[in-house]
Amino acid sequence: MSFLDSVKMALRSLWSHRLRSMLTMLGIIIGVGSVITVVAIGKGGEAVLTSQFAGGGNNTFEVYYMPPDEELMDYDAYDDVAYTTEDLRAIQEMPSVNQVIAYAYNSTNVVYHQEAAGAQILAINENYYDLNEFTASSGRLLDNRDVDNGRRVVTLSTGVVEELFAANDEAVGQIVNIEGVPFEVIGVHERENQSFFAFQVDEVLLPQSSWPMLYGTDNMDMLNVQANSADDIEIASHAVTNYLNDQSTLSGEYQVLNMEEIEQGISQVTNVTTMIIGGVAGISLLVGGIGVMNIMLVSVTERTREIGLRKSLGATRGNILLQFLIESVTLTTIGGLIGIMLGAGVANTVSLIAGWPFLVSIPVVLLGVGFSMFVGIVFGLLPANKAAKLDPIEALRHE
Amino acid sequence: MIHLKNLDKQYKNGDQTLHVLNDIHLKIEENEFVAIMGPSGSGKSTLMNMIGCLDQPTSGEYLLHGTDVASQPEKELAKVRNAQIGFVFQQFHLLPKLSAMMNVELPLIYGGIKKKERKERARLALEKVGLEDRVNHLPNQLSGGQKQRVAIARALINEPSLILADEPTGALDSKSGTQIMELFTQLHHEGATLIMVTHEQEVADYARRIVTVRDGEIIKDRGHENVVPR
Ligand SMILES: Nc1ncnc2c1ncn2[C@@H]1O[C@H](COP(=O)(O)OP(=O)(O)OP(=O)(O)O)[C@@H](O)[C@H]1O
Ligand SMILES: [Mg+2]
Repeated sequence: MSFLDSVKMALRSLWSHRLRSMLTMLGIIIGVGSVITVVAIGKGGEAVLTSQFAGGGNNTFEVYYMPPDEELMDYDAYDDVAYTTEDLRAIQEMPSVNQVIAYAYNSTNVVYHQEAAGAQILAINENYYDLNEFTASSGRLLDNRDVDNGRRVVTLSTGVVEELFAANDEAVGQIVNIEGVPFEVIGVHERENQSFFAFQVDEVLLPQSSWPMLYGTDNMDMLNVQANSADDIEIASHAVTNYLNDQSTLSGEYQVLNMEEIEQGISQVTNVTTMIIGGVAGISLLVGGIGVMNIMLVSVTERTREIGLRKSLGATRGNILLQFLIESVTLTTIGGLIGIMLGAGVANTVSLIAGWPFLVSIPVVLLGVGFSMFVGIVFGLLPANKAAKLDPIEALRHE
Repeated sequence: MIHLKNLDKQYKNGDQTLHVLNDIHLKIEENEFVAIMGPSGSGKSTLMNMIGCLDQPTSGEYLLHGTDVASQPEKELAKVRNAQIGFVFQQFHLLPKLSAMMNVELPLIYGGIKKKERKERARLALEKVGLEDRVNHLPNQLSGGQKQRVAIARALINEPSLILADEPTGALDSKSGTQIMELFTQLHHEGATLIMVTHEQEVADYARRIVTVRDGEIIKDRGHENVVPR
C-alpha cells in the first residue's frame, strides 16, 4: 500500500466527518495561533523598543549629562549643561563621527494676537531630521537656507496650530510671537513613524541661528552623534565623552547610552514575556493534542468493524497504524496551518494598529507546523496502536 | 489445498475452558464447493475464521497450500488474506462512506496496485456480479442482494484461490439468495474453491460436499471425494 493512498484514505475519512474534524482541530488552531501571535507581537514590540532606544539603527547615539549621586534630584544640576559651538565643531571633526545633531529647547508660550499656547521650542538645524522624520501637512519644513540665513521662521505642530488658529491652513503666513520676537509661520509639521504609545508633543521648530535672539546664547542643550558606521559607534562614543569630560568643569559626567546593553535588556524582557505567554499557549496546544487523542480513540471504537474488515482484506498492523496516525497528524497539521494563518492575521492587525513591523518569521512558522505535526504523532500513537492491535474477528463481531 | 490436522480451539473464560473446536480433521482440495452446516454455536464460524487465517488454533496444524499457517508472522498472514482468500460476510461489511467501486478496490489498495489498474479491475469485478450500473452508489443506496454482490466482487477482485462465505444469504430474501448462489455456482465452474457456512438446506444443496459440525466436531461429511474435475 502506497503512502499516498494512505494519505488519501485519511483525508477522505476526515472529510466524511467534517464538523467533528473541525472541532477537534480547534484546540490546535487556538494553540498554534496564539503562539504565532504572541511571538510576532513580542518581536514587533522588541523591534520598536530597540529602534527607539538605539537611534533607529542609523548609528546615532545620545550624549547626556549625569550629575554626581548627591545632586541627582537637583534640577539646577543640569542648568549648566551646554554644548558650545567649539565643542560641536571639535566633535564633528572626529574621524569616527559622521555628523553632529545638536539642538536647544525651552518651554514657553507662542502668542498669536490674543491667543497663547504653551509649547516646546526646539532650535534645530536640518540634521535634526535625521533623528526623526517630519512631514509638512501644510506649508513646508525648515531647510538649511533658513538656518544659514538666520531667518525668523517657524513650523508648528498640529497641536499648537489647533490652539492658536481656527483652521490648519490659516496658520501659514501668519506671524507669531515667541519671547516677544516675531516669527513667520512657514508650515505645519508632523512627526513620522510615531509609535502607538508615544505622546504627541506641542512643539515649535525654529532655526538654530535664531536661538541667540531669544535667549542670548548659541549653546545647545541636547547632543546626538551619528557615527560613520555601526562599528564606529563604540569608538565615537568614547571619543565624544572623553572630550566632553576633559573640557567639563562640572562635577558630574557625560555619558552615552550603551545601546548593546539596552538591546540586551529589551530582548531579555521580551524573551521572558514571550516565553511565559508561549508556555501558556503551549499548554493550550497540549490540551488540543489531548483533544485529538480523545477523538481518535472514539473514532477507533466507532470504526472497530471497519478495522476488522480491513484486516480481513489484507491490511497489516502497520497499514492500520499508519492510517490512524496519518489521520491524527493530518488533523493537527491542518489545524496548525489554520492557526498560523489566524495568528499571522492577528499579529498583522496588531502591528498595523500599533505601527510596528510585521514580524512573523519563517522559523516560527516552520516551528509551528513541525510542532503541530509532532503533537499529531505523539497523541495519535496511542489510538493508532489500539486500532492496529485489534483482533480481526472480535473487531468484525463488534456491534 | 486445505489440510486441517488435529485442530483444537479453546476459549478460556475464567477457570472454565470452552472447547469450540475439537480434534478437527479436514481436507479440502482445489475447486471444491463445500457447505458447512450445523446448529448455532457449533463452531462453524470459528472454523471458517481459522481457514481464513483470521484466527489461530489452540493446537493442531493447518496447512494451506502445504505451508503451516501457525508459523507465519502476522504480516505474512495479512498477505495471504489479501492475495489468496476472499471473504464474504453475512452482514456484507461494506464501508458506508465509500462507493461500491471504492469498496471493491480496497483489497487492491492493500495489495499495492496502482490506481488506474485498480479502477479497471474493480469495474470488471462489478460487471461480473451484474452491478456495472451501480459503480458510484453508496452502500445505503443499494439493496441487500446488491450489497452482497458488491461484497462478492470485493472478494473476487484479487482472484483468490479460496472464497470463504459465512452465511452469505443469511440476511437476504430467498430471491436475492438464489441470485447469490447462482453467482457462486458460476464461480465454482470457473475454477474457484468455495467454502460456505449456511443454515439452509436449499442453499447447502448448491454445494457438492456438505460438512456437518456439532459441538465443535465434524459429525458428517457427505459428498467427500466427490471432487468436480476442472
Ligand atoms: N471470543 C470468544 N470467547 C469465548 N467464546 C467464544 C468466542 N468466540 C466464539 N465463542 C464461542 O464459540 C462457540 C462457537 O461460535 P461460532 O461463532 O463458531 O458458532 P457458529 O457455529 O458460527 O454459530 P452460528 O450458526 O450462530 O453463527 C460459541 O459457543 C461461542 O459462544
Ligand atoms: Mg457463525
